Amino acid sequence: MKISIQINASPYQHQAADTAWHFIQAALEAGHEVYRVFFYHDGIFNACRDSRPPGDERDIVKRWSALQSEKGVDLVVCVSSAQRRGLLEKSVAKKVGGYIHAVADGFRIAGLGLLMESVIESDRHLTFGA
Amino acid sequence: MNLIGTLPLVLDVKTLFFIINKGLQGNVCGQEFLDIILMAAAFDQKVVVLFEGDGVNALLKNQQPECLNLKNMMPVLDTLPVYDINDVIVEKESMEVYGLTENELAIKAAVVSRSDIKKRLRSADHLFGF
Repeated sequence: MKISIQINASPYQHQAADTAWHFIQAALEAGHEVYRVFFYHDGIFNACRDSRPPGDERDIVKRWSALQSEKGVDLVVCVSSAQRRGLLEKSVAKKVGGYIHAVADGFRIAGLGLLMESVIESDRHLTFGA
Repeated sequence: MNLIGTLPLVLDVKTLFFIINKGLQGNVCGQEFLDIILMAAAFDQKVVVLFEGDGVNALLKNQQPECLNLKNMMPVLDTLPVYDINDVIVEKESMEVYGLTENELAIKAAVVSRSDIKKRLRSADHLFGF
């Protein structure tokens, strides 16, 4: 089955990012395809490169990056949600004099069109943190 | 934002239910949720917008969120027909809870009972909330 995921809540304060991650692991293990993970609302904070949790805790951001590099899952951060909250894509940051390394490895910044495309393309669309 | 490159030539049409069950002010999620609704319509999907619970208050006439330095969402709701979103429904029971009558609603919406909404929800391919 083709599954797309939407994450609406920030990491650490909400369970959404954890539950979604575990769900994705289980789905991939069961042979399903995870078409895309779309980060919306405060969910964009899952892509904060400079998140530095204590060493004995799970690193949610790194965990997402690894999901992309190891399993090839498409991680997309909504551009308007991200800009509103101060997470700028490199080219935009350069243009406005913002921080250019804000977005962690493996994430790409794009518009809502990509959310809608994955909703249409997938058999199931699951929202975490609604 | 390589939208064109990733889109298939022919898109499926799905029935997408968007459930607004809280006010559109107070945080930015309501506003961002409306963006998804408009995007779904721009992708020619069959869009149904449902107001229920606290969300029915979003339809009340003569709101002045500007007093609180908040964005007025009424112009966006007024835009729905322009996007061919004409299937807007309000839950009758929720209106009764808040003592709202049909002529207090700022936009054209069908007042539908909870049991009929339940039946309609079965026709949805995806449900969205925020």
